[in-house]
This record gives sequence, C-alpha cells and structure tokens, in this order.
Amino acid sequence: MIAPPAAQDRAAILHCMILMRRFEEEVLRIAQDHPYVGRQHLHIGHEATGAAVVSQLTPDDLFHTTHRNHGYVIARGADPGRAFAEIMGRKDGLNGGRGGPWHLCDRSAGFLSTSAMVGGSVGLAVGAGFGLKTQGSNAISITHFGDGTLDEGICFEALNLASIFSLPVLFLCENNAKEGQRPSSMLAAKALRDLPQALQIRAIVVDGRDADAVAEGAKEAVARIRGGAGPVFLQTNLERWPGSHQTKPEFPTGVTDLSLAWEEDRIEGKHADWVREHDGLRAYAKTLVDDGSLSRERVLEMDREVLELLAKAREFAEASPYPDPDSLMADVFA
Amino acid sequence: MTKKFYAQALIEALTETAEEDPGFALIGRGILGHGAHAHFDKPLMERFGDRITDPPTSEGAVASMAIGAAMAGTRMFCHFGTASFTLEAVNQLIHEAGVAHSMSGGQIKVPLVFHMYHGLRRGGAGQHSSSPQSMYANNPGLQMIMPTTPRDAKGMLRAALKCDSPTLYIDHGALLGTEGEVPDEPYEVPLGRADIRREGSDITIVATSRAVLWAVEAAERLAAEGIDAEVVDPRSIVPLDAEAIVTSIRKTGRLVTVDEGYQMCSIGSEIAALAAERAMDALKGPVARVARPPVPVPFSPPLEEAMTPGPDRIIAAVKATFA
Repeated sequence: MIAPPAAQDRAAILHCMILMRRFEEEVLRIAQDHPYVGRQHLHIGHEATGAAVVSQLTPDDLFHTTHRNHGYVIARGADPGRAFAEIMGRKDGLNGGRGGPWHLCDRSAGFLSTSAMVGGSVGLAVGAGFGLKTQGSNAISITHFGDGTLDEGICFEALNLASIFSLPVLFLCENNAKEGQRPSSMLAAKALRDLPQALQIRAIVVDGRDADAVAEGAKEAVARIRGGAGPVFLQTNLERWPGSHQTKPEFPTGVTDLSLAWEEDRIEGKHADWVREHDGLRAYAKTLVDDGSLSRERVLEMDREVLELLAKAREFAEASPYPDPDSLMADVFA
Repeated sequence: MTKKFYAQALIEALTETAEEDPGFALIGRGILGHGAHAHFDKPLMERFGDRITDPPTSEGAVASMAIGAAMAGTRMFCHFGTASFTLEAVNQLIHEAGVAHSMSGGQIKVPLVFHMYHGLRRGGAGQHSSSPQSMYANNPGLQMIMPTTPRDAKGMLRAALKCDSPTLYIDHGALLGTEGEVPDEPYEVPLGRADIRREGSDITIVATSRAVLWAVEAAERLAAEGIDAEVVDPRSIVPLDAEAIVTSIRKTGRLVTVDEGYQMCSIGSEIAALAAERAMDALKGPVARVARPPVPVPFSPPLEEAMTPGPDRIIAAVKATFA
C-alpha cells in the first residue's frame, strides 16, 4: 500500500487542475471569438486524472499525447500564451502555427509528438520507451488515450511489443466511456483491462475523477516502470463532460464556479448531475476544503491567480501575428 | 578502392555507423534477404548483433517503435524486408515520421532510415512485388534514396544515417550481387545529386534502382546500332536533382524514363513532367515512359516477365522517340 500524496502535493494537484480547466474554458472563448479556429477536443472532466498523473512524473519523462492534449501540455509547464497562440495558428505558437489545437508540442516540456491519428501516440510511446531503454535512461515514456483508441489494431501491437521487450511505458487509458448514446469504444472484451492483461501487462484501475486515487495508482505504476518491471496499463474511469464532443463552442455546464464545491445547493440545470457527481475538479476542491487541507479563500485565490495568468496569456496570443506566408516551406526536413 | 559486392558495401555502412555511434540501434534481422548474398551481414551480426532487435510481425507498431525511439534521440535503422509490408505501416511513415518535424515547428527530429526491397522478384505475385516509391514520394517530409552501385549504397546510407530526417531506402534484391569499386577511406555520397552512368548525346534515359542496370545494358546495345544514349541515375528521389536531369534532356533533346512502378503517377511521370515544364523547347521528339502496365502482378513466370520493364522495352521506347 502506497501512502496518498502529501498535503502540499495535493494543493499543487488542485492548482494544476484549476489551470487545466480555466485554460480549456479560455480555448472555448477563443473558439467563440475566432470562428476559423479548428475543432476543439477539450480536456474538461479529465483534470483529476491529468494533474494527478503529471504530479508523479519527472521532467525527463517523455510524453506522446493525442488531440485531447492541452491539459497535459500546460500541466507540464508549456507557456500558456504560446499554447493559445498555437491554437490560433499564430507565429509565436508552440509549433509556430504548424500544429494547431490537435498537435500542441513542446519538446522542452518532454513532449515528442501529439498524434491525432487514433492510436498513433500509443505506438510512438512504445518507441520512446525503446529509445530510453536503449539509452540506459531512468526516464519513462507516457502515452494517454481514450478507451476508443483500444479499437485500433496498433494498440494491440504496441502493447504486445512493450510487454515482449519489457519497455518503460505507462499506458494511461482515460476511459471516458460514453459519448451521448453511442459508446466511445466497441470491444468484445468484457473489461478494458482484459486486453493488456492478456499480454501480461499489469493493469491498475482507478476512479479517474478522484485525484487522490489517481495519484496513488500513478505512483504505484511509475514506481514499477522505473524499477524496470516493464509497462503498466493505468485505467482511469471518467464520465465525459457533456461538451467534450462539440461542433459549436459552448459551455453546457456553465463556466466553472469553484464555490459550488461548498455551496452545493446552487448546483442546477440540465447537467447538474455531471457537476455534482462527475466533475473531478469540484470534487477535489470540496475534499481539500472539507478535510482542512485548504481554506475556501485559498481555493478562490488560486483560481484568481490562474485567471490572471491566462488573461495575460490570451493577450499575448492575440497580439501574435500570423506566420509569414514566405515561411511556408520551412522545417519540412531537419 | 576495392571491388566489393553491393551487399558488402551496404553492411559496411551500418557497421561503421555502429562503430561511431554507440547509441545507434537497429530493428529487424535478415537485412540482406534470404538469397545468395545474405551471409554478407556476418560482420555486422558478429560485432553488433546485440544492437539488433528482432521484432514480431507487427509492421505498424514496429515502424512506430523506430519512429518513437528516433524522436527520443536514438539513431535508428529499421529493416522491413519486402516493401509491400510497409503498406501495413503507411500511416506511421506518412502521418508520424513524415510530418513530425514540420508539425512541431522544427522541434522534433526523426533520425531514422527505413530499409525495404521493392519490385518484381519472380513469384512475388500480387502482394509481394510492390514498388511504392512514387506513392511515398507523394508525401512531404520523407527522404528517399535508391542507390544502384556498391559505392552509392554505402555512401548514401552513411549520409542518410547522419542526418536528422527520416529516410526511406528503397532497395532491390537484384542489386545485392552486383559488384563495383568502393573507396577504402571513409566517405559519404550526398543526397540530391544525380549520377550520369553513361554519357551520350542522342537521347537521355532516366532510370531508377534496378532499372538503371537495364538502361545501361540497353544503351550499350543501342550504341551498336548508332544511337548514343545518356543514362541518368537520380540516386535519390527526395531530394531530386532536377537540375542534372533537365540539363541532360536539354543536351540530348530526347527522353525515355524507366522505373519499376506502375506508370500512372510514377517517378517516370514526374521526370516527364520536368521535361515538359523546363525543356519543352529542346525536345526533338515525344517523351516515352517505360513502367509496369496497370495489372496486379501475376504469379506465372511468363506473365510476370511480360509486365517487367527490361532492356528490350527500353530499346523499343528509344526507337519510338526517333520515329
């Protein structure tokens, strides 16, 4: 049994979750203000998983992410202004405007690529694990993906390779199960963990809305992988945010109000159930306030600090010019 | 200079890279196939066998493993065997390896060479005879080399392994047993420079890979009939030495292209387009393309033979441009 993270770490996890949430809300506003921006895949509702897993990693660990990448990129220290600029296709974007919202990449924060080909990042992360092992590094490779990705053949192949060669890879499956009436994955297996387990990969399943549970699961997984015991499949069960698959940028559950963590009577509306039962951010703020780890004031203060930071970041992005069309052919080859 | 087999020269490039770079890693055994020259991989296997990972039959994930490792900073050589099998990994080659550097705004590098054998090989039938070069050339971000001499095989592979962009080395099994002079001292052959394999004044034949051997044979036979053909070997398709090709066409005023791919949108079609764009005023006759006809490769030997471009078809095409 591994102890839950220390109080200070829990505050840091909450802070990271607020940053992830407010970043994505700003992305929605950007999409409302700039209709040309590409389709968004927001990480709202995944913050407990994202922030808690990131809290267990070191700067040398390498990430391969998916189109639902913003939360991880920001949580690992990428500049939010450059991230907004990338989402807007601007010159000062993380990728110089070449990637857009699906492909944010910051090598200095440990990101090798952000593949929007479903399953692409899973295969590449096995490669990063292979590279790290070849180099004799103590770092590990992480890939996160939704449960739907397991429908792809490359996942079976990649899990198999990672297991055969005992590679240092954390397969983080954000099981966001439902998308309206249609399940987001269609598998004959009874449980997602049956797939890695059939290939002799250790599977850990946790409540993905509960940051403490995710941190504990991630801690165990990372310790195993770093200790040379091979890959681990960490499954975090989530309920999708009602707006996570939208064609129009809207706030179906409203702009986040952290005081709902302790003023639960005010939770209302069509999606009150999601806010009450499935919003990991609200739940974690409530947990930390209830157990005395943080005061209500401190939670709201953190939120204000994040909002100020992001307001400046948005200003930076808005002021950034588009890339010069003359630069079109740059960087095709290294 | 020492006379060596192409197979030996190819392995020398890998052995020297492994000597220089202790981090260099390889995926896939049987780099020289299963034929008469397969044993020439011994120097590599004996000294650096522990650097070679033998993967399961999972082309997509194997390609991903090579690409991800290269992104993480390990210089990689990944051997696929038959080029047809790379179609199982086409998404990884095109959408991951090919776009990574550009899509990351130049942050990510992919120092990686994919090696594969293309082409008609007797009995390969419809699923083991692919020549996918024009299909891959149609996607940005992937370099492509097709050396045809022992000297170029070693020198171009050395050059490709030193650069930080992904490179497809599209090889042909029929080249492994060819011989030629190879420098004894360390050297590289830069990508993007064509080689004039035979100088001539009457017609330009641009051929790639094994087709260069056919073109040289055709040129010798044509010389006996009084036609002096120039044979141009682009050696790398991406980057392509358009300048050298156009210069030759402008000099001779005639063009025949030869490649093993299907004619539609072939490498030959690209060369023919170059002639139309940049040498139209110098052309004295129609351009001809020698390539595969649009039929899945049949197994039966006379049928496969009937679709194989060779010296006879090149000679016929050359004569047609003079008609």
